[in-house]
Amino acid sequence: MTETTVAPERTETEAPQRGYIGVNVPRKEDKRLVQGEGLFVDDVKRHGMAYVHFVRSPYAHARIASVDVSKAEALDGVYGTLTGDEVAELTDPFFQIAPPPGGHVKDYALAVGRVRHVGEPVVAVAARTRELARDAADLVEVEYEPLDPIVDPERAADPDAPQLHDDVPSNTIWNGHFDYGDYDGALAAADKVIRIKRLHFDRFSSTPLETSGAVVEYNRGTGQWTLHCNNQFPGFAIIMMAPALRTGMDKLRFVSQDVGGGFGNKICTHPQLVALCLLSRKLKRACQWTEWRTEQHMANSHGNERVFLDVEVPVTDDGLMLGFKARMIDDCGAYTRYEPLGCIIWAQVTPGAYRWRNVRVEFTQVCTNKSPCGPNRGYSRMQHLWFTERVMDVVADELKLDRVAVRKKNYIRADEMPYETPNGCIYDSGDYALCLDKALELVDYESIEERRREAESRGKLLGVGIGSTLDSGTNNFGQATLVNPELQYSVNNEVASVKLDIFGEIVVTLGTTPQGQGHETTAAQIVADILGVTPDDVNVRPGHDSYWNSHAGFSGTYASQFAVTGLGAVKGATEMLADQIRTLAGAVLGGVPPEQIELAEGFARIKGNPEAALPFMACGAIVNANNAVLPLELRDITLNCRYVYVPPHQLPDKERKYGNLTLTYATQIHACVVEVDEETGSYEIVDYGAVDDCGVRINPQIVEGQVHGATAQALGAATHETFAYDEQGNLLTPNFYDYHVPHALDMPPLKTGYIESPSPFTPLGAKGMGEGGGAGLSAVCSALQDALRPVGRPIVYDSCNPYWRVWEMLRDPAKTRENVEVETR
Amino acid sequence: METAPVDSAFVSVQVNGESYEREVDARRLLVHFIRDDLDLTGTHVGCDTGNCGACTILLDGEAVKSCMLLAIQADGAEITTVEGLTHDGELTALQQAFSDRHALQCGYCTPGMLISATYLLEHNEAPTEAEIRKAIQGNICRCTGYVNIVEAIQAAASGEVKRD
Amino acid sequence: MLLREVEYARPASVDDAIRLLSEHPNARALAGGQTLVNVMKARAAAPDILVDLNRLDDLRSVGVTPDGGLELGAMATYTQLVGSPEVHSTRPIVAEVASQIADVQVRNRGTIGGNVCSADPTNHFLPLMVALDATMTIAGVDGQRTVPAEQFFLGVYFTAAGPGELLTRITIPPARRGDGFAAVPIGADGTCIVNAAATLEEGGARIAIGCVAATPVRATEMESVLSGADVSDERISEAARGLGASLDPPSDVHASADYRRHLAEVCAVRAVRHAAGRS
Ligand SMILES: Cc1cc2nc3c(=O)[nH]c(=O)nc-3n(C[C@H](O)[C@H](O)[C@H](O)COP(=O)(O)OP(=O)(O)OC[C@H]3O[C@@H](n4cnc5c(N)ncnc54)[C@H](O)[C@@H]3O)c2cc1C
Ligand code: FES
Ligand code: FES
Repeated sequence: MTETTVAPERTETEAPQRGYIGVNVPRKEDKRLVQGEGLFVDDVKRHGMAYVHFVRSPYAHARIASVDVSKAEALDGVYGTLTGDEVAELTDPFFQIAPPPGGHVKDYALAVGRVRHVGEPVVAVAARTRELARDAADLVEVEYEPLDPIVDPERAADPDAPQLHDDVPSNTIWNGHFDYGDYDGALAAADKVIRIKRLHFDRFSSTPLETSGAVVEYNRGTGQWTLHCNNQFPGFAIIMMAPALRTGMDKLRFVSQDVGGGFGNKICTHPQLVALCLLSRKLKRACQWTEWRTEQHMANSHGNERVFLDVEVPVTDDGLMLGFKARMIDDCGAYTRYEPLGCIIWAQVTPGAYRWRNVRVEFTQVCTNKSPCGPNRGYSRMQHLWFTERVMDVVADELKLDRVAVRKKNYIRADEMPYETPNGCIYDSGDYALCLDKALELVDYESIEERRREAESRGKLLGVGIGSTLDSGTNNFGQATLVNPELQYSVNNEVASVKLDIFGEIVVTLGTTPQGQGHETTAAQIVADILGVTPDDVNVRPGHDSYWNSHAGFSGTYASQFAVTGLGAVKGATEMLADQIRTLAGAVLGGVPPEQIELAEGFARIKGNPEAALPFMACGAIVNANNAVLPLELRDITLNCRYVYVPPHQLPDKERKYGNLTLTYATQIHACVVEVDEETGSYEIVDYGAVDDCGVRINPQIVEGQVHGATAQALGAATHETFAYDEQGNLLTPNFYDYHVPHALDMPPLKTGYIESPSPFTPLGAKGMGEGGGAGLSAVCSALQDALRPVGRPIVYDSCNPYWRVWEMLRDPAKTRENVEVETR
Repeated sequence: METAPVDSAFVSVQVNGESYEREVDARRLLVHFIRDDLDLTGTHVGCDTGNCGACTILLDGEAVKSCMLLAIQADGAEITTVEGLTHDGELTALQQAFSDRHALQCGYCTPGMLISATYLLEHNEAPTEAEIRKAIQGNICRCTGYVNIVEAIQAAASGEVKRD
Repeated sequence: MLLREVEYARPASVDDAIRLLSEHPNARALAGGQTLVNVMKARAAAPDILVDLNRLDDLRSVGVTPDGGLELGAMATYTQLVGSPEVHSTRPIVAEVASQIADVQVRNRGTIGGNVCSADPTNHFLPLMVALDATMTIAGVDGQRTVPAEQFFLGVYFTAAGPGELLTRITIPPARRGDGFAAVPIGADGTCIVNAAATLEEGGARIAIGCVAATPVRATEMESVLSGADVSDERISEAARGLGASLDPPSDVHASADYRRHLAEVCAVRAVRHAAGRS
């Protein structure tokens, strides 16, 4: 290893404080939510509001010959419409993150001239009621000239494939070469080389139960829009929307209170939001839109589909894997809304959990006539980590090595932390082998052979599988420059303000847009500890308002970072406030130095003399309402502190695609036991153990909840959830009948365990962890391959394995085995 | 109500003990009537095909999905929505248990889930885990994996709820 | 999503309902609404008038016939069937299958009449009614007629209860040697990929397979092999051999035609074993 990067500076982490950190403080959010008194976007109403319905394309690919809205507009109760032609005139195409050729994609709020996926919005109709808007949509006449669609990503770059976007030849959005370490050297040194022709990661999405939506109001006097919506990354939406709308950023005010799940799927709603902005301005009334479930499935962001081709893994005789080589084709659907960031984000976890030093990847992203992709819980890393875990099992099984031993041999070791990966990422802390032991213990691994025999006696094939994944959090946005060197993005930031008001009320404002992660609660825990009060005394404003001035370019809730960036900002702001209170109280209590003041029980008091105390209420009153009491030299004390947390990142090296791309790496090591019905291929997950390590757990119950949720989503994606298309580009799973998400009866009881490896790089020793790395996906695939071993050793090469796929493996295992090859040197 | 076909009608219902009378179009779904006309927005919509259960209410004591009923069909009915569970500001044992056990994250499925759970406990005081799972099989939650929901219902049934 | 404009009528009697249905060519009976309202939301169906059967208590009865069979009102809900002592004492399979449909909320509204009249090929009750040899009573302005279940199902969403008619009653003969049902659903409780029902009689069997064609398919070859007294596991498996090959099932995202052929055999075997008390 010749290359080095500088590890981020270590932050002092004292042993986890006592107080509220690590305590299961009940959530502040719950009281309203269990009484049905939350405020979700579809609950927002405005006088004279119009309901909007989008007319959507029935074709995967077609030219729009004509659009006639006259009949729709003539319907009683219809307020008006918006067409693609109007959009093309009134807005500019959205900024593209990709350099050319991907940068040539022209993406608008509505289809302009051509539709590129089934469900693409073509016309928006606004009417007095939901029903009327829907009726009017039926009256819009759109004439299409169908074009051949391209659906299969592996054929998208073929010379004869239909081309989606002018100036994007071969449908290739982005292509890059990643070469780390010395792959050729590794190959030469190998005793064995395993080749896998193809692995395939299916398309799915977390499908939040609340669909996307918004109520948009336009203020004609100020030219300002207020968007009550459930977009989960307003910082990004505003950057996309303001230039498109030819307006200033501050003209777009994003407001949300409760959001019914996001999982990344609510990041890329900016096209619909722009349509609503235009409509509300045109119609001079508030416009509301709530996406329907079938629309969410058809046209909201999907998780990226990815194929891994010509995979090659050099291995030594003792089972050490020296690295890998692969050609990866990522399918981003019809438009690039957040893409091609996925083309680099996987590199945060290039070697997965393993000490793979030599890596060569040819990465290509193509567009196809399917719903556009966007971040989805575990964005881009999940696909890659699934790949690393499949490689691990295939190699172990082909070389007849013990899967546990092989993992332990190749895992990065606890004593190597912080560990620098071949592409310059710094894994902050963790102990994967220990997590694995604990996970195996949870599923009673010792008894597996016995249970296998018992299952066999019932005609079932039992198998156990492992998923070892990482949840990398707190992005270094500088990685965007690795896909487009022209971009001026780097590092990351999040904001919080904390103030002490006249009556001594502590008010916290976050820049995030929580969707169930309990930010009100964990923020209150941090503030309470620093100010010496209880979380009940801390009023955290629910939701998000970009006018709160507590908002930065990267504000939002995404990419596993609140515990670091959000709470880092809360901690910073609260410490500023605490300093101010101490200074003020010291002065008022007779010139005592601030170090002599302690904050406890709602008082600022002199240490060792609790009688000499100033209540917070008095502090708040002096600064806010009784300024005569405030000594002149203390007039810069505002008791209203805003702090921006900026993680210690640097710009990566664009040439070598090298550098630290995220700050923290939470660990998920899961073990899963499946039972396959040999007759039908149907199977059940009968035991599941999840061990997670996210450093210091601020609120263990909330952390566990995230583990449960991420696991359930991974199990859904591993078993039934897939967005499958036919050759014409029709989505075959547009509803919850065909897209079967886990029901209560589908979920096995989950056993959880944890270890805490505090991050040396973060303010609280915590790591982001909400996304999980899709460990469950890998674990199920791993367990299936183990279970099926007695019937011809088939290889599991898809991420989603509905029963029919398992049956095909049972029926023709040899066919799947054509996919692998072992070369002995 | 008249036998002849009508395209709208006055509907009177008792919701959470209060009487409402509204004129509605025959085509209006009960869930939209509750949310938009009566402004009781605790009852949610999570799908358009009857799968998710976010819209679950008690209609004359029976748990039903209000997105598959017309408002006009509910004429004369007694309805309980999530807003009607609490009495005198005090959370029910189930509501409290949901909070204690962290059985909700985004809270979007919670109203329907609580109604299904309430209905279960009205018919079965001491359900087994399997019975609980069966009772909420029609309520989709995308956040929690159901683990804590099942626990919360068990806790509420067995009286192990801490109250402040 | 949202329904087209529609009129609504709440008949006071079954006759009234039939009159409404026959007077208006595009009127539809509204039973539990657990299929119909969804189809209307998707605007895949747009009747002009909905004739709501929900307050016709006559149609809700569940009773035992003088010969010990079952008589089910078309509007009997799944929940009613699940809890009915009459069902449990005669053909408990009806309750068992009803309890497998969807979820509590759907079972509280959905009706057996709606289930068979919606005639979705993946529904649970289609093969069961055929296997049980149920008789459907259909009423129209010209009086009523009865149709055996096997002739009731005419196509996807298409039954012998024609426009202007109402299914009023389903009659199921007294208990035979045993009834069974088996299915492979998507996940624990999703839509059936294939299902099958079986009734073992003295000297015979009735076996019907669902999800493999527009209407339930009788496994006649298999039935004839099982016409004797021998319903050992080996015999059952042997009887099912070739059943798949005789079918021409659809391919879709959940199963290829081949997979459905295979599952048809497996489900048929399991249903018969269940009927033989051997599952
Ligand atoms: C989430 C969900 C999951 C489901 N899963 C399953 C499943 O796994 N298996 C299954 O079998 N079903 C399933 N169903 C369908 C359910 O069983 C429906 O209840 C049933 O198919 C229709 O019954 P209904 O009483 O609701 O009828 P409706 O929806 O009211 O009517 C259905 C059709 O039948 C006609 N009709 C109804 N009654 C009569 C009558 N007496 N005479 C003449 N015509 C009549 C109506 O006009 C309409 O065309 C599911 C439904 C939902 C919402
Ligand atoms: S909204 Fe009623 S079931 Fe989904
Ligand atoms: S808590 Fe979010 S859907 Fe259940």
